[in-house]
Amino acid sequence: MRPSLSRHLQYPAFVGLYLLFDWATYIDPMYGLNITPWNPDPALGLVFWLIHGRKAALPWFVALLSAEVLVRGMPAGLPLTLLCSAWLVLGYGIIGEALRRRFSSSNMFDNRRRLLTWAGIVMAGTLFNAVGYMSLLSLTGRIPAGEWATALLRFGVGDTVGMLVSMPLIWVLVSERGRERLRSAIWRWETLAYLALGGFVLWSVFGSILRCEYKHFYFLFLPVIWAASRQGLYGAVLAVFALQLCIITLVKWSHAVHIQFYELQLLDAMLALVGFFIGIVVDEVRQVSHELKHTMRLAAAGEMAAALAHELNQPLTALSTYGKACEYLLERGESGPLLQNAIGHMIVESGRAAEVVRRLRDFFRTGAMQLEVVEASALIAGIARQFTPQFHEHGIELVLAPPQPLAINADRLQLELVLRNLLANAQDAVLGQSRGRRRITLRAERLDGGRLRLSVEDSGPGISSSLAARLFEPFVSSKASGLGLGLVLSRSIVEAHGGQLWAEVGSHGIFRFILPLARATAASPGEPQ
Amino acid sequence: MSSNLTVFIVDDDPAVRDALGLLLGVRGYRTALFSCAEDFLLGWQREWAGCVLIDIRMSGMDGLSLQRRLLELGCLLPVIIVTGHGDVTLARQAFKAQASDFLEKPFDHDKLLAAIDEAFSREAATRGQLRRQQQGLDLLRTLTPREREVMQLVVTGRHNRDIAPVLGISVRTVEVHKARVMDKLGVDNVADLVRISMLATD
Repeated sequence: MRPSLSRHLQYPAFVGLYLLFDWATYIDPMYGLNITPWNPDPALGLVFWLIHGRKAALPWFVALLSAEVLVRGMPAGLPLTLLCSAWLVLGYGIIGEALRRRFSSSNMFDNRRRLLTWAGIVMAGTLFNAVGYMSLLSLTGRIPAGEWATALLRFGVGDTVGMLVSMPLIWVLVSERGRERLRSAIWRWETLAYLALGGFVLWSVFGSILRCEYKHFYFLFLPVIWAASRQGLYGAVLAVFALQLCIITLVKWSHAVHIQFYELQLLDAMLALVGFFIGIVVDEVRQVSHELKHTMRLAAAGEMAAALAHELNQPLTALSTYGKACEYLLERGESGPLLQNAIGHMIVESGRAAEVVRRLRDFFRTGAMQLEVVEASALIAGIARQFTPQFHEHGIELVLAPPQPLAINADRLQLELVLRNLLANAQDAVLGQSRGRRRITLRAERLDGGRLRLSVEDSGPGISSSLAARLFEPFVSSKASGLGLGLVLSRSIVEAHGGQLWAEVGSHGIFRFILPLARATAASPGEPQ
Repeated sequence: MSSNLTVFIVDDDPAVRDALGLLLGVRGYRTALFSCAEDFLLGWQREWAGCVLIDIRMSGMDGLSLQRRLLELGCLLPVIIVTGHGDVTLARQAFKAQASDFLEKPFDHDKLLAAIDEAFSREAATRGQLRRQQQGLDLLRTLTPREREVMQLVVTGRHNRDIAPVLGISVRTVEVHKARVMDKLGVDNVADLVRISMLATD
């Protein structure tokens, strides 16, 4: 099944592996038949079927037949064995086709719905398969009359558990991408830790299982939940399979066949399903949070782009103007210092433009900050300037507290973005007030412990406690055109600078954030940087 | 450009300022560069002629405030507003304050030159009109009080024989006064006389 294996080798390899699985798990059989408590071999067959479709039928039939001959010495006689194998291949084939039709283009274990569908198909198919198989054996007298239901249950449980527990792992292992993702998920020390815990729990619980009828089985949930919650589905798949392997080994090794092994297997199936569900939920949550991060990065980049547009515009304007001037100079036949000078300026300006672009690219790539010493008053004056025309338009009074020399180590553009967000919000808040009562205050103060506090206050209606709770949730916006990311973004920027951003509940709007001061100012106030 | 018209450039970005100075200089315009609105206001003189190119976004006083201030000061220079991100609000504000044009950075240079030329001709038109107005006022001042009385009655459309009894003089004297008025003001018909006389009532 590996791509490195040539196509012709895949079939014998499958048969060989199938035989190995069958032999290794041929434990506690009923009547010397293939009715055992754990059959991972059909899981292998199903994965093979998913890859090859109907072409898997013949090798599967060969594998079943040779297992009967080699592992069990064909207890049912040739004709019946042929018939039973044919029936089983038919039944498995139906499951395989159902899965193939359902999951031809998608992964089976991506979300809860698919997991449920997969488990449903496997269970229903196994039941159907078992009914036919047991009826055949029963009709031909291989199973004593009256034992049909018990045999059905055992065979059904063995097959179901085998598929539920093993198929995800085999499915993950056959594809290059699956192997890579499994590796990246479990290749860490923590894996060893939960496997060790699993081993320990099994070792200490198994004695009690023999004596007290699974009273302490639930301890086994510990390592599985650990694996699932930390490493998602891949961790759960590994943990569940490892536990099953250990249980089988323990049973085989201690010859503890007198215990209710089938019930144990049922419990194990539940354990597997719970583990997979937790794993998938964890994966889904991670996926969502990853997507959100991506969206935020995009939104941040969009805002950065807007901020950078102005910075980019200046060198571009200068460049094109110099260029036009050079054109006229050349037309006039000038080639002296005037032209050289202009060209020199063009080179400088293109460097300036490139620098702006580089910053945007850096931000896209890493969200990296470009730290520089920024004067709070300069920052405030700069941002106030940008808002002056629109504030003027709407009759909003902007009050700036008297500037103090307060320097911070920060990415100027990112902080401008935060202030712009807060001022834009404040503007929206005060527009509901009548003209003359629209006021926004912007203030920077020094706090103890070398910290700077920036406050944006507005004369708007303020923030209620219920709104405050949802204010920093992404995609929650009170504005029709808002994406609901402004405050989330602002907060993450401030936090990336080692600060905090919050809103205060009150009768007018108050947003504050704290940033650590640059060390030199923190030590000696007023000294220029 | 042979006139004494100057393009005054107010932009806080040294590179943009310098480049504009070079380009317009090469094209034969006289330029004067200012790095902020305050500097321009300090240096501004009423006789300055030409046009002002003002960037909106500047440190200190912004471009639109400078434009409004100049309007208050009665500055006649047409204003071309320049911005990196032209939105409708800004453009509307600029035009409400009688901007001559509104350009986006980076410039379309043909548009820029066209805007400057248009501003120049607009300025010239304004100045020409003002000059004519001033000349008219100067001429009106040369009239004697009696002549002014006669003129005011003439422009209301009265005939000489109606004016004479009003002023208590002979029709012949009215005719003499009227001829002198026309002569002093340099007009040869009543329509032009009406136009000039209206300057006095403004």
